[in-house]
Amino acid sequence: MAVLEEPIKGVPVVKNFINGEWVESKGELKDIVNPAKYETIAKVPISTKEEVNTAVEAAQEAFPDWRRTTPLARVRCLFRLKELLEEHFEELSRIQTQEHGKTIDESRGETRRGIEQVEVATGIPSLMMGYNLEDIATGIDEYLIRQPVGVFGVIPAFNFPFMIPLWFAPYATATGNCVVIKPSSEDPLSQIRLTELADEAGFPPGVWNIVNGGRTVTNALLDHPDIKGIGFIGSTRVARDVIYKRCGETGKRVIAQASAKCYMVIMPDCVVGRTIPALMTSFFGNTGQRCLSGSVLCVVGDDAFYNRFMDDVADAASKIIIGYGLDEAVQMGPLRDKEKKERIMGDIESGLKEGTKARLDGRKNFKIRGDYPDTCFLGPSILENATADMRVAQEEIFGPVMTVVRAKNLDEAIEMANSTRYGNASAIFTSSGKNAREFQYRIESGNVGINIGIVAPMAFFPFSGMKDSFFGTLHSQGQECIRFFTESKVVIQRWL
Amino acid sequence: MRMNTASEAISFSKKLEDESAKFYQNLAQRYAEGKEIFLSFARENAKNEVQVERAYYGVITDAIEGCYSFAGIDTDNYSIEVELPEGKGYSDALSMAIAVEEKIVSYYLDAAKVSKALMADVPQAFERIAKKRNERILKLKSLLKGG
Repeated sequence: MAVLEEPIKGVPVVKNFINGEWVESKGELKDIVNPAKYETIAKVPISTKEEVNTAVEAAQEAFPDWRRTTPLARVRCLFRLKELLEEHFEELSRIQTQEHGKTIDESRGETRRGIEQVEVATGIPSLMMGYNLEDIATGIDEYLIRQPVGVFGVIPAFNFPFMIPLWFAPYATATGNCVVIKPSSEDPLSQIRLTELADEAGFPPGVWNIVNGGRTVTNALLDHPDIKGIGFIGSTRVARDVIYKRCGETGKRVIAQASAKCYMVIMPDCVVGRTIPALMTSFFGNTGQRCLSGSVLCVVGDDAFYNRFMDDVADAASKIIIGYGLDEAVQMGPLRDKEKKERIMGDIESGLKEGTKARLDGRKNFKIRGDYPDTCFLGPSILENATADMRVAQEEIFGPVMTVVRAKNLDEAIEMANSTRYGNASAIFTSSGKNAREFQYRIESGNVGINIGIVAPMAFFPFSGMKDSFFGTLHSQGQECIRFFTESKVVIQRWL
Repeated sequence: MRMNTASEAISFSKKLEDESAKFYQNLAQRYAEGKEIFLSFARENAKNEVQVERAYYGVITDAIEGCYSFAGIDTDNYSIEVELPEGKGYSDALSMAIAVEEKIVSYYLDAAKVSKALMADVPQAFERIAKKRNERILKLKSLLKGG
């Protein structure tokens, strides 16, 4: 099969989009590298605080008119955006592969997930409705209306460069707010293309803004008094110690989704043939750079089942085709950059020092399909003989590493899974409804899978992390997100 | 070549539909007696392609096993012969068309079988197309008998 054509040609310099105009930044330029080829494909500016302030001012100025625009008129922009995203589906997907490294199937999956957010947000005229009660006392009625809040900052992570901003921006704008998005400086190109399409869809100047950069931009958004709330995806350290804390100090509302350590519990009655592909996708999909990735495989059962099952897992993992994601045959792409690769190699080493055994060591003996440098590539790793208290079973690795623990029974498996400080996602693979219900009931995890490897909620459900995987009250996506982006105003009315 | 990913399966479907559409267009030019039916097959191929792409692009998400859904399918087993040598008669053309259709049906059914639990709408689209193509085989066989 063919290697698909790359959409990004030359080395474009990325601009900011402020008040409906593409403007050059005064900030320093940083290379954006295609991790499969390890070559520069664009340059992104590290914008200044003043540039953020200009964007926030533009958004603040656009807000009064935008909030007065009827919900129906607002969502017409989103309907147009949805059509444009469908029209450019393949281009957007290939950009993600080029800038991030994920496989083309994964990129298309990301594009679809992003579009679904826009689709749900087009329902705002219904979804944003309040409620009312006649005669709370004789002749007195009470009702609740939802109103937009103002300007929001969106600070996404590198691992889903296209989709994550869409967890926020469509809902924010559909409810009448304005946004300033800071794309990940590692892979902002699909966000830039998305913004070009948002502009074409007819959002008025100032409603949808992009400021590229790093910490300076993040800090400026956190500090700005006109930013009413922040949507953030990243590590627990930053989510808790920087974003959540500073939003508390400055009175901003916040959704901060953070790190994870997702347990995949295997019961002896699982359907092995169906479970293996789900595990390959879960642990090694997106090269393990996903907060919903399986990280710990917890196998329940006797030695005979364990050995048989792990033989199948190792066999499947060793056959994964590694290479450039635009090659349609490839099942796992590179890590986003070489620093991430080095850090993950260190995590594998420290896991081995803790006493695990490498059934597969992704640092060596893997083959890259095609002629690409191995700079950012790692093979899948399987570390057996782990115990739940080891660092490799407790801390996020964010790479293609499967840590394997064993449990005597479901009770012990749930106890182990609940021992991590994270609570993003967990799954059980079983044919027993009783086991599944018990797991669902007791597991401390915001997203629960039953025979599902990637427990990614659809756009009309909240992305429900808990424990150290989430900081805030309301989650992104769906109804919760609409509440996040609106103020509830209660009116009590009596006509004399 | 052994396939694994959904992207490969969709591209291979497209290749089969394109190649067989060209084959039927060629037959339509060469055999006036079957022109209408051959052209209708070629038009239907274009629709099949759209159906498959819609199913795939509509359902593909990171939650399903897109990179692992078609493991075990070897495209070499489904390559089709679409060059009809000069001088061959109408009945030879019909026989060749039947062979092409049987190969394509077997691809769609085998691919649907392996991906059934993993790719939701795609195997359903494959099965629908296989059904339509089985109807074609019956039509082609009746033409062959009639000829």
